[in-house]
Amino acid sequence: APSKDAVKDVCVQSHRTLNRKLTENTAATFSIPAAQAAQLVQSLHTLSHHVLFYNLTSPDQILAVFPESFHSNLKNLITKILLENSPAWRTEALSHQVSLPQLKELDWRVDLVTSSDSVSRMAVPTCLVQLKMEDPCPSAGGEPVSTVTVELSRESLDTILDGLGRIRDQLAVVAG
Amino acid sequence: MQLHFAKDVLPDSVGTDFQNLNKFNEQTDRFVQQLTEFAGEHGMSAGPLRNLMKSVLLVPQGALKKNLTTEQVKEDLLTLGLNDEKAAHFSSQWGQHYAALSRLAVGQTLMVNQLVDMEWKFGVTVGTSEIQKVGNIFLQLKLVVRKGNSTENVFMELTLPQFYNFLHEMERAKASMECFA
Repeated sequence: APSKDAVKDVCVQSHRTLNRKLTENTAATFSIPAAQAAQLVQSLHTLSHHVLFYNLTSPDQILAVFPESFHSNLKNLITKILLENSPAWRTEALSHQVSLPQLKELDWRVDLVTSSDSVSRMAVPTCLVQLKMEDPCPSAGGEPVSTVTVELSRESLDTILDGLGRIRDQLAVVAG
Repeated sequence: MQLHFAKDVLPDSVGTDFQNLNKFNEQTDRFVQQLTEFAGEHGMSAGPLRNLMKSVLLVPQGALKKNLTTEQVKEDLLTLGLNDEKAAHFSSQWGQHYAALSRLAVGQTLMVNQLVDMEWKFGVTVGTSEIQKVGNIFLQLKLVVRKGNSTENVFMELTLPQFYNFLHEMERAKASMECFA
């Protein structure tokens, strides 16, 4: 390998996706034939995902994965790279996990209704809530971001707060 | 106007009629049915009575819309030609039921995408295909929104921080609404 950074790059990129471009770049960077480059990125991909899945967090755990005869310095270097990137990979995997659309943004506004077709003068407050949601795994051709605007009367808002309060109490029991 | 015709027949039943009027915002069929019964009881045909009530209903409807006082309703009735005794009775009934009637009218106010129901569940994510062991709490909400005549379900998921933020924002919205109490 030409440099430590080159090793690091190929590890990080192979974790994400494997494609021909990566293989070509790797072959060029490491001056190895394409077949070997393909095997290299595939192996690195499998290795990094293995580490992530089993949450191997100590150097010994990762070192144990390598075969006995593996080049010692290279083994240590790769282990170090994997350890450094694991937290970021874990966060990324969690944010992309299968899930219902996630609430990304919440905006609200309180209006005072002053008149309507059935009553000429009134002063009734009402609340508009806009929820922006993002689907982490949208279906092909589907839109990941969706927006819903909902109107709440005072009673509805009270009922919601009631429900949310109960959730909060139950969460306190579970988490505490 | 037909009010002259009704002067002799209406006296006692004005009270029951007001129960009907309380429902004029809702089930007009039941109202029509009760009118027909009333017509039968007093030996008159339902048709003219229905027309009569249509005119009569104009008074409370307009009174609700304009937030009229008992006095104003009585004056209007007298101007229309209803006799003193009945106008007084009618307007005092109006005074009694006004609160309930105006609540009904306000409740009819147009609402866009009204939130009808909220269901929720929360749990712990145990593992994913990428990470064998996880331990994150998630909250799933289902909001039922009225769109026209049908309802639409909106599903979403919140992490703990998002949930606390949601709760906080809703409390702020409520505090803002309380200012108008």
